[in-house]
Amino acid sequence: MSEPTFEEAQRELEQIVHRLESGEVPLDEALRLWERGEQLYKLCRDRLERAEGKIEELATRVEATREKP
Amino acid sequence: MGAFNRGIASWLGRLPTVWVEGEVTELRRQARWASVFFTLKDPGDSACLAVSMPRGQFDALRLDVADGDRVHVYGRPELFEARGEFRLRALSLERFRLGDHLAAEGLFAAERKRPLPSLPRQIGLVTGNDAAAKRDVLSTIQARFPPASVLVAETYVQGPRAAGSVIETLAALCRQPDVDVIVVARGGGSFEDLLPFSDERLVRAIAACPVPVVTAVGHEQDTPLCDLAADARASTPSVAARLVVPDLTELLQRLDRARTGLERGTRRALDRERQKLDRMHERLGRAPQLLVERGHSRLEHAAGRLRALSPKATLARGYAIVRARDEIVRAGGDVEPGERVEVELAEGGFGARVEETR
Repeated sequence: MSEPTFEEAQRELEQIVHRLESGEVPLDEALRLWERGEQLYKLCRDRLERAEGKIEELATRVEATREKP
Repeated sequence: MGAFNRGIASWLGRLPTVWVEGEVTELRRQARWASVFFTLKDPGDSACLAVSMPRGQFDALRLDVADGDRVHVYGRPELFEARGEFRLRALSLERFRLGDHLAAEGLFAAERKRPLPSLPRQIGLVTGNDAAAKRDVLSTIQARFPPASVLVAETYVQGPRAAGSVIETLAALCRQPDVDVIVVARGGGSFEDLLPFSDERLVRAIAACPVPVVTAVGHEQDTPLCDLAADARASTPSVAARLVVPDLTELLQRLDRARTGLERGTRRALDRERQKLDRMHERLGRAPQLLVERGHSRLEHAAGRLRALSPKATLARGYAIVRARDEIVRAGGDVEPGERVEVELAEGGFGARVEETR
């Protein structure tokens, strides 16, 4: 499975929580969901923490791209 | 006479820029001329007005205006001194009711509007070197969502080159792989300053842009046509910034709430299963005793039935069993007179001899 986008991860996480909180989920399924949910939570946090605020100028970026062989 | 013409020219030069509406006739355009000439005719009373427009500007609009087209011309009355001819010097030109025309094409339709990404990988910002709009967008983005990545593309935001330059900038930003939303921000200005943002080519480029576009052009009361074509329109540059990035604090809270919910939900599922297991275990523990009890009662039942079937009870009521030659005697003919028979009673019995048979 390819990495979900932040939005996809967040949406899936919230759907999992909803399922866990509302339905009678069998144990195996609950554990599987929990594991997936933790993974998604971590993924979302990582995305936010890994990203460093960055402001670039397009002109500079285009120059830099041109300089590459 | 030259002084007279100059005087009239300077007097005319004090008149404000105006919009004039009419039908194009006698359009004259030649590559070696610096200007394009045409006559605007009022379809109502056939009044005419000579118009000239710098050729570069006219061509840049790429409107394919031809004789008979109804147009709006934005310009300044002036006197061509050398010949004493009065005309309108056009600064811009648009098809009559361009907005209605584009709306009829469906360019502004609500179903065309795309949702903005809730967390763009990179935000493209198209802005002038006009410090205020750029600063407002950047500072709001950084305050609200520090991890945001912004690619700033400065361009002309007023004057004859603006529309074309904004279009090129949009295209350049779209070529950047991570840009998934674009903000076009331009601070307030005069009606004339904002004209490029109603330019048909720019409006079409915004509608056709592969990446969602948010516009914040001019002040609240201005409605350049590009605002109508954009996926979202903001009243100010900082409002545009709020539309393109989430509030980090809120986002983190929401994530943490989801995680708490995740743990609570899983624990609940675990508890439920554990209780179910405990109940099962308890029932299992009670099983042997239950089996013994059930065996007992089955035994009792069988014994009762056995007792009911035994002849003892019948004998107890005064009946007797008579046997001869180890066979139960059921009829008088079964025995001979003088034959010995055994009589069994509820308590003990005795031997006897048959006197007679009947």
